[in-house]
Amino acid sequence: MKKRTTVSASISILLAGTLLLSACSDNSGNGNSAANSGGATGSTNTAVNAGADNAGGASTDGAAGAIQAADLSKLPAAAKQRTDTIIVGLTDPSGAFTPYFQQSGYDGNVSSLLYTPLVLVNDKAEPIPGLAEKWEASEDGRTYTFHLRQGLKFSDGSPLTAEDVAFTWTILNDKSYDGDSQVNTLGIKGSDAYKEGKAASIEGIKIADPQTISVTLEKANAAALTTLGGDVLSKAYYGKDYKQGDTGYMKSLSTTPVGTGPYKLVKFTPGQEVRFAANENYYGDKPKTPNFIYKTSEGDTWQYLETGEVDYASFSATQENIDKLKSLGFVNIVPYTPSTYGYLQVNLEHEALKDKKVRQALTYGLDRQSIYVDAAQGAGSIANIPSSPISWAYTEEGINPYKYDLDKAKSLLDEAGWKEGAGGIREKDGKKLTIHYLGSKSKNTDIFIAVAKENYQALGVEFQPEIFADFNSLVSKVEGGDYDLVSFSTPMLTDPSDGLMQFVDGEVKGYSNPKFTELYKKGLETTDIEQRKAIYKEIYQLLNDELPVIFTSYKKSVYAYNARIENLAVSPFYGLAASLPQWSLKDVQ
Amino acid sequence: MSTYLIRRLSYMILILLAASFLIFSLYALTPGDFISGNIKLTPERKAELREIYGLSKPLMERYLTWMGNALHGDFGYSLAQQKPVLTIFNEYIWNSFLLAVVSTFLTWFIAVVIGVIAAYKQYSWFDTIVMLVIFGAMSIPSFFIGLFLIKIFAVDFHWLPPGGMTTTGSNATGWAYALEVIRHMTLPVAVMTLLGLGSLTRYFRSNMIDVLKQDYIRTARAKGLTERKVLFTHALRNALLPAITLVGFELPALFGGSLIIESIFNWPGIGQLYMKSFGLRDYPLLMGFTMFLAVLTVIGTLLSDILYRVADPRVKL
Amino acid sequence: MSLAKGELAGPGKAGAKAKAAAKSSLWSDSLRRLLKNKLAVFGFAVVVFMFAVCFLGPLFSPYADNKINMALMNKAPSAKHWLGNDALGRDVLTRVLQAGRISLTVGLASMVLSVLLGGLLGIIAGYYRGVADQIIMRVADLLLTIPSLPLLFIAGALLSEWKVPPDYRMYIVMIMLAIVGWPGLARMVRGQILSLREREFMQATTVLGLRSRRKLFNHLFPNLVPLLIVIATLNIGGAILSESVLSFFGLGVTPPTPTWGNMIDAANNMIDFEKRPWLWIPPGLSIFVTVVAINIFGDGLRDVLDPKKGR
Repeated sequence: MKKRTTVSASISILLAGTLLLSACSDNSGNGNSAANSGGATGSTNTAVNAGADNAGGASTDGAAGAIQAADLSKLPAAAKQRTDTIIVGLTDPSGAFTPYFQQSGYDGNVSSLLYTPLVLVNDKAEPIPGLAEKWEASEDGRTYTFHLRQGLKFSDGSPLTAEDVAFTWTILNDKSYDGDSQVNTLGIKGSDAYKEGKAASIEGIKIADPQTISVTLEKANAAALTTLGGDVLSKAYYGKDYKQGDTGYMKSLSTTPVGTGPYKLVKFTPGQEVRFAANENYYGDKPKTPNFIYKTSEGDTWQYLETGEVDYASFSATQENIDKLKSLGFVNIVPYTPSTYGYLQVNLEHEALKDKKVRQALTYGLDRQSIYVDAAQGAGSIANIPSSPISWAYTEEGINPYKYDLDKAKSLLDEAGWKEGAGGIREKDGKKLTIHYLGSKSKNTDIFIAVAKENYQALGVEFQPEIFADFNSLVSKVEGGDYDLVSFSTPMLTDPSDGLMQFVDGEVKGYSNPKFTELYKKGLETTDIEQRKAIYKEIYQLLNDELPVIFTSYKKSVYAYNARIENLAVSPFYGLAASLPQWSLKDVQ
Repeated sequence: MSTYLIRRLSYMILILLAASFLIFSLYALTPGDFISGNIKLTPERKAELREIYGLSKPLMERYLTWMGNALHGDFGYSLAQQKPVLTIFNEYIWNSFLLAVVSTFLTWFIAVVIGVIAAYKQYSWFDTIVMLVIFGAMSIPSFFIGLFLIKIFAVDFHWLPPGGMTTTGSNATGWAYALEVIRHMTLPVAVMTLLGLGSLTRYFRSNMIDVLKQDYIRTARAKGLTERKVLFTHALRNALLPAITLVGFELPALFGGSLIIESIFNWPGIGQLYMKSFGLRDYPLLMGFTMFLAVLTVIGTLLSDILYRVADPRVKL
Repeated sequence: MSLAKGELAGPGKAGAKAKAAAKSSLWSDSLRRLLKNKLAVFGFAVVVFMFAVCFLGPLFSPYADNKINMALMNKAPSAKHWLGNDALGRDVLTRVLQAGRISLTVGLASMVLSVLLGGLLGIIAGYYRGVADQIIMRVADLLLTIPSLPLLFIAGALLSEWKVPPDYRMYIVMIMLAIVGWPGLARMVRGQILSLREREFMQATTVLGLRSRRKLFNHLFPNLVPLLIVIATLNIGGAILSESVLSFFGLGVTPPTPTWGNMIDAANNMIDFEKRPWLWIPPGLSIFVTVVAINIFGDGLRDVLDPKKGR
């Protein structure tokens, strides 16, 4: 009836939100990660991100912990008949397939198959050759020189040279560039002049010969290697209509990409699928499986995996999910840990939270084990430093695990001058100790609030939770500064310095520690990995003690794939793209 | 009649103008904007991007810019998809329309049949069971019915596909394509119909009961007409007339998409696109779609009112 | 009698007196008839039972404090926990009852509000026509075009800004939804009035010189009651469900407070759906039973109050 269109329509709209957002967050186990709720993370500077379809980047813990399929005969007929195509689910590719000029992480997944970056990284985030076969950094760390492989071609057959690399770096510094590539934050010499239109090209980019190109930065930056070493756009194709100051025309090229990846785009049906075929102009080995399809699928992918419509899916590593996957019989199950960490942002501008003891007390007084591990049925672990456990810089030496200890928390608060007052709530100078917590609606937020309320009540802290309808509203409130604690998680981290960005770029207000700033700079000044490891260890020990944010958790996920696929591996930073050419289909009859 | 029409049309234009401003303001005032959701940006870059997109300009200026373009048929580019808004509509809206048109037809048809029979046999077993089933369908959350049907028909029995609009990787065209779509459409349409049946059936049943108590039915029976003639020629027509006015309201619903159904079944429709765009605060898309629905709504109410007159000539407009 | 009871009253003062006498016996007569309708009585009893159990039940439960107990996470029904435990080890039975308090209150309140608002405006528009009609209908049109989603988000942000305690927010938002949702109801009521007012019995009241208020209350309104009851009873299910939607958007209760809607929502995934029916069946069944009972009762009431019933 008419109510259908008004009240009921709004009800259905809202009800749908329920399904959508909760399903999204269930699949990845952490609804706070921006990679999932809302869907827009933007592409990273290394041209790919959000590896496996729902979570943010993935790492195989080698074959350790992998569970092989028990009974391949259970393979659904739909999958058996597909002998030359692999199908993987992807939440929502929208059709903006040009790297650097896309807004959604899912579009990034698509372009990761269509393009190859200059510099790839291995599972530990160490740089390895991509389109560039070798590179050097100058003595002072400010100039990088890349040497391209011989005979590189784009998917349309045209040759790839240093001109194209120069074009890519240049257009990313254009004043109208509206994407989120970090290339324009590196401070390439002459880029400011170019942005403002005072120069017609960027001074710091020099082409030595068609295979060699070098770029000079204003300041040394070890993380710049992978940022500069991203995807390359064809000058002939993407630069044809380029006039300085106007990149608007790029929009019209977004569904017809020309790239350098193992696959090329065959067809895009909006809302349904993206079809690929092997790229005969790929510089590496020809992909073993000629066809690949990304199938658009929201929320629960169980039904697709079970019926064989999809060959690969990733899930939160809860014991139940694993058991259910095992019972299917025809999937291999591989655990992985995404390259990200969760944390509680602390409002350091509020009096009470300025005191380190209070922050530590809040950490000791929070039962993170229950919230992030037990309630998640094992699909998580506790974080204590701003790094993902798969990074080469990760360490637990000298790190305080802040195990749940109510007494220690109480004594810390006593020391800090917060004594128990009326109604069991601590007071100091007449002010009550209240914590105003903000979360965005998700299952995990509900769990956090329920447990934290009890924990903090025992501690004598008044806990005032507030839930926001979606991530965007939450961020808007945080920008206004009216909060004490907020749950967030980082985007995908590649270089260890990525995990520290928020303390440096102005997002975390109120934390200024000269020792930290000094160490951070040092960490970027050298490219020697052993040296950097030591520096980062110091930084982690420092932050673990000071707690400018309260570290919370790491996610654990598994990906399950149809066992007829062999040689499957998933990179923490590129998802499927890096190893997809190796995937081959076993003959199963 | 023509003065009435002219008057209504001028009101319509005024309303649409007022609505456009109201709607634009609502979206603009919703907390968060397209930039704030992207956690990978530094605060300065966020400010830069807001400049580029014009999001830092005052509300009135943004509205007038949008309005100016819209009146020329230019609804802008989607911020998230980098494509023209109208192109995106075209890609998604017809999928939703397909589902809506088929399920609306089925809903009305079944509701009329069941409602009439139930009214005729009021208080019988048939009536009671029908009403219980109807209430059931109305009070169970739709995502449950959807999940349930998928589990049974797709996962357990493999009779129907678990979702999507076409089989992945298929190259079917013509009839084969149509058949594929029909197979994929079955479950979503079934759920939509089940959900919509409830209120409509009750409405028809209630109307029919009222009509059957009227004197002219008694007269018809007294005249010796067959029961079937009484039912269909006299009772049904009068019972259905008030419902004709509901048709006007179906207009926006046909194009509005159904978010829940589309999400559960992975149907590439405009409903779930709207929800996503809202989460992202993709203003051009949101404005374009909402204004489109607004126009349909206003036309729908006009249609309803005119149909009142057609249905019951005693009504003065 | 060929004329149904409410359709035309006797003329003049003598008629008024007779009518008054008829009226009191009309109500008690209706009550008697209602009581005879076993199904309706049953429906009413069920509703009363739901209310009683939800408001009083938790007082007897040892688990009313909703304490978290991870050791009992997701356990199936047992002797100590008749409906099992949820994802944080809390007793499901107690939570379902506590949830009922909110769901029932909210469902009923919002239904009453929208029916009152929509009904009133619809009657005014349909009966008085002219300027009032135009204004009300045009405003209704405008409201119909407004998308509710941004409205709700803005409401949420404002409520947060004004530091309204989270427990009250839901009620405010329900009021808002009723205010924005009246157009549909108003249109239906107006439509019904438009045809009713042209009927012979209404023309008769004009000829008889009855005042507008008499016409409205004593003649028009009773004929409207069946429609209103149908609307109201249909609305309740939607209202109860819409509360869950609001909770989902953070405009409802904050955890750990349960509502039927958010309990169902928490179990909305393949695994809970398949393996742990005790999580979603109790709240789902509660909504179902409540809605059905109310509708059955409403139907019985409608049959009794329908002036056209010749019986």
